[in-house]
Amino acid sequence: MEGKGEQVDNVLKLFRSEVKIVNVGLEYFYKELKKQGVTAVHVAWQPKPKLEKDLEDILSKIL
Amino acid sequence: MPITKNVVRKNLFRDSVQLLQLSEEAKKIEGVINAAVVMGSDLNKELLEREGILTEEGKGATENDMIIAVKVEDGVDVDSVVAKIEELLTAPSAAKETYYYSIDSAIEHLPDANLALVSVPGQYAKEVVKEFLDRGIHVHLFSDHVPLEDEIELKRLAAEKGLLVMGPEAGTSIINGVAVAFANVVERGPIGIVAAAGTGLQEVSVLISRAGSGITHGIGVGGRDVKTAVGGIMTLLSLRAFEADPATEVITIVSKPPSPDVQDKIVEFIASEGKKKYVTCFIGGKLYSIPEKAKGRLIQTRTLHAAALEAVKLAESKAEAPSTVFLPPEELVKIVDEEVRKLGSDQQYIRGLFTGGTLTYESMVIFKELLGDVWSNTPLKNEFMLPDPWKSKEHSLIDLGEEEFTAGRAHPMIDPTIRVQRIIDEAKDPEVAVLMLDFVLGYGSHPDPAGAHLDALKKAKEIASQRGNHLVILAHVVGTEKDPQKVLEQEEKLKRAGVIVLPTNALMALAAAMIATRRTDKSLVENFYQSFLRGVE
Repeated sequence: MEGKGEQVDNVLKLFRSEVKIVNVGLEYFYKELKKQGVTAVHVAWQPKPKLEKDLEDILSKIL
Repeated sequence: MPITKNVVRKNLFRDSVQLLQLSEEAKKIEGVINAAVVMGSDLNKELLEREGILTEEGKGATENDMIIAVKVEDGVDVDSVVAKIEELLTAPSAAKETYYYSIDSAIEHLPDANLALVSVPGQYAKEVVKEFLDRGIHVHLFSDHVPLEDEIELKRLAAEKGLLVMGPEAGTSIINGVAVAFANVVERGPIGIVAAAGTGLQEVSVLISRAGSGITHGIGVGGRDVKTAVGGIMTLLSLRAFEADPATEVITIVSKPPSPDVQDKIVEFIASEGKKKYVTCFIGGKLYSIPEKAKGRLIQTRTLHAAALEAVKLAESKAEAPSTVFLPPEELVKIVDEEVRKLGSDQQYIRGLFTGGTLTYESMVIFKELLGDVWSNTPLKNEFMLPDPWKSKEHSLIDLGEEEFTAGRAHPMIDPTIRVQRIIDEAKDPEVAVLMLDFVLGYGSHPDPAGAHLDALKKAKEIASQRGNHLVILAHVVGTEKDPQKVLEQEEKLKRAGVIVLPTNALMALAAAMIATRRTDKSLVENFYQSFLRGVE
């Protein structure tokens, strides 16, 4: 559970690779990454509107 | 007569940095005296009120609503100003950029993404982070307010997959030279850092760089990782990864005191599974006994300054850490001596206004030994909690990155508004002798933090001098020449404004304590260098 010896391969792979980032949330961080020349994409995340969530809850009960 | 107007847009969300930038744009519109576009959190409403631009309409906004607040000159059509701001608000923020509206579509366009930087509100973090872990992608989780049970679940899941979840509340990581969130451009070298303390990672990586060495990677694990509930899951995974990483020769661990069981796990790991050289910096923790198997390759330190120097020593296989590399004791005594002579007899207190949480904490730990407990919004002992975080008393150290100053606002490393005002407030207190300020550079931070404070610093000095006082202003700049803001330029701006710049946060704390207590004896300085700026093997 705490990452035994054989489980660090994925981290070592990250250490050895070009870092490519998906930014979710603050657009500002995406811009800061681009300023560094980092390969990155930005997800313009928004909280789900409350109405939509209420609707989902109702639908999940009906369906 | 100037007109003030608030317009509330119900359930309209923009993030705090977008709103900060929008506010700056709005202030530039012709005829505008003051303007702010903010989410309607209590803190933001309070700040609008202080600035005199909150109306009844704005008062009714909730944290889910946006307030457009403007004050215009006499004769200016306030509605057309509001309309212009609304235009700015709806204009595409980056016309040439392609943004994605789902994680799926983003990954479709970057199929070999290997890291996600997540800064959504904490209650949504779990669902977002899981999406990345399920795809085998490491995560830096910047969000705060992530429920503890979510953190535990995510980290257990990540560890099963051998993936990193750096955070929550991880301000800083440096992976393969990339500054993730708030981080500096530091030299590459043989030292790996695992940090449960964001500005701790920034200070140590910068000082390592300035002492002539460099880092492989800096992994921020989030402050709670080293507490019993989380059990050091990511700290231990990171240590194992650094052990297996051929480029890393020395591993530095930076944290406030871990829970005793987690500290035992870390030390036990170093002794029994670790083969490399280690430096631990459990700021404010008690010295522990070094296990036999770790002797000769494990050094304990009490400050970020010492951690950096001892790591460089181990990396360069030198017998002695270059303990005076940043500032020889005699020079410090000289600086302090000059300032003490200028103080009035009533001036006895220190006011620290910090943007970095770890830097605040480290200063309090140092003060505890030199001055005793001090007041704070994040005190070492609860009885020293400031009754009102907006009002200092006696010696006070304020962490402006805490919730009460950041709810619905950008972090003070980006937005200096609150600190600039607080500097003036502190200068008005005739008992204040010393102001302490940190300036954190690097990606993520304000493009010119020193410049943004110059007017306030000048005014603070003037306020004191009108009383016949000399106000000592100390600063420490966390940065490198490769940072976009360039450390030497930033330091120079501050020095020209009469600020004394210290090369490390620990030395700033020592200087402040010496000035406030008028202690200029060399023995104090030598003892401090010995106990705080060197390691224990």
